Amino acid sequence: MKYAFYPGCVSKGGCPELYPSAVKVSEKLDIELEEMKDVACTGAGVLPQNISDPINARTFAKAERLGLPIMTICSTCQGVMAQANYRLKEDPDYRAKINREYLAEEGLEYKGTTEVKHLLWVLFEDYGIERLKPLIKRPLTGLKVSPFYGCFLRRPPEAITPTKDLNRRKSYLDEIIGIIGAELADISGKGKCCGFPILSANEENSLAMVAKHTGESKEKGADFMVTPCPLCHLNLDGNQSKAEAQTGKEIDLPILHLPQFLGLALGFDPEDMNLKRHIVSTDKVEKKVEMLS
Amino acid sequence: MQVTFKVYRKDPEKDGKPGRSNYTMDVPDGATVLESLFKIRDEMDPSLAFRCSCLRGHCGDCMVRVNGSSRLTCTAKVSAYTQKGPEIALDPLRNVPVIKDLVFDWDAFMWNKIRAVKPWLESADLPANGETLVPDAAMRDLRKVMSCYQCGMCDEGCTVLPVDFDFLGPAALTKAYRFVFDPRNQDKKERLKIVEKPKGIWDCVHCYEADEHCPRAIEPTKRIVALRDEAFRVGITNDKVARHHQSFAASVKESGWLDEGRLAVESEGLTNVKGLMKLLPTAAKALTRGKAPIPYMHTKRPDADKIKKIFEKAEQVEK
Repeated sequence: MKYAFYPGCVSKGGCPELYPSAVKVSEKLDIELEEMKDVACTGAGVLPQNISDPINARTFAKAERLGLPIMTICSTCQGVMAQANYRLKEDPDYRAKINREYLAEEGLEYKGTTEVKHLLWVLFEDYGIERLKPLIKRPLTGLKVSPFYGCFLRRPPEAITPTKDLNRRKSYLDEIIGIIGAELADISGKGKCCGFPILSANEENSLAMVAKHTGESKEKGADFMVTPCPLCHLNLDGNQSKAEAQTGKEIDLPILHLPQFLGLALGFDPEDMNLKRHIVSTDKVEKKVEMLS
Repeated sequence: MQVTFKVYRKDPEKDGKPGRSNYTMDVPDGATVLESLFKIRDEMDPSLAFRCSCLRGHCGDCMVRVNGSSRLTCTAKVSAYTQKGPEIALDPLRNVPVIKDLVFDWDAFMWNKIRAVKPWLESADLPANGETLVPDAAMRDLRKVMSCYQCGMCDEGCTVLPVDFDFLGPAALTKAYRFVFDPRNQDKKERLKIVEKPKGIWDCVHCYEADEHCPRAIEPTKRIVALRDEAFRVGITNDKVARHHQSFAASVKESGWLDEGRLAVESEGLTNVKGLMKLLPTAAKALTRGKAPIPYMHTKRPDADKIKKIFEKAEQVEK
């Protein structure tokens, strides 16, 4: 089982704890990763489509040449690439134009066969939950966990559910919390925006969203929140204290990346998963996890 | 089937305090929520206020929240909401000023915002023969947007409006799209400026909730994204956003991927001392938690030169 690994900028930048956790967890699961180092940022929804589509087409063409599907660990990378891939796959004329105008010079061509999958989707659709279950050495029994998907793992439909039978993708994170033995602390905003995309344009609104989601999770008694999106993590973890200051309410909710959450259940120590690198202290979570060992 | 409707009530001519009235009745198979509201008003309580108009799901006037989710009551079947129990809660939309009971202030909710984007054509003088011919291909896309009947479902689904009611919202911004991209419009840049102000396109989180809520598949989020892409192409006029986007683009263009440290600093502006000082507490925390490498480094990706070539070529298109 092998993937062209697209870690994304943030897993090596603002969330440097994510990349090594994802690599360790993949190794443990025998998921072989060939990291794509010579490809560009997806554009993250900031760069306009006329620029991001050609540079994403280049990434797909490179993976196609390797004969591997792409695995992402970021809802934003996933969503932006999936939307670009949808346009390129559905419209052969558009694909041909991009190939001709942008990729041909490098001797590349995208034939439209590359699949792009988030680690969360890989687990359910390729790896298999039955194969995962026996590897769970430390069920996180007694811990309450809120899911937070990141918009692009839920919408738009053509990026998530190109066929109707994939509708279940929208609940994978809820499911994995149960599979790992933790208790679901469900929140109404789990599929909503974390506010990160407008952090620069309107910080007040962005922080209001952080406060809303983390506050609700805290009220539901969650020990922590888990997210498959490092951009959500940057806002929910990194800016939680600002959100507290804005609303005047203490929140103090640790946010874990999906690979860290999986890693703890697979038996890794919190230290291996770099929990100390978060802005919101994870001490309480670590203590609870150590008591389970 | 016996069903109890628990309806939100508020009467400005009495005490104006919100409350709830319960109405229990037999509901025939296939009845809609709106038909039940008619029955309540006609047979049980003539004081109940609600809105409706076309009665066939084409105008949006009857939108309320049915068990928490926004629905057009004229098309919502009662039986779809009674699977968990014979009770249905009816409420006005969230975060909207209520006038009476289920009647809320549409002006504040949507119409004032639609007016703010100047929803009319501003074109140069007509040719001598009195008509402006537009190729059908140019109008095909706009016709889709013009099929919007302003039901407001996209605004109801919006993620930003619950935290900021002054945000223009997807309905008004979709209306703006319709005129920005109309080939007869004389000054695209001026029109874009209106929606580039604070509370406009750059306040949208592009979460695609609006597209999920739109009953006409007009895809308001994609329209907002197209407005942003167009603003990027012709030159962003919102200073703060321009700095952020230019820095983002420059870092991908020069190195192949994002330099987050550079983005944080350049987004605030290199001469904006106050803004830069604001970054310090976050930066200090990030350093103490080992989030940022010391010394800070950002290296080019292998093939950065090839990525740059594609980037530059794409930038030149249609300029």
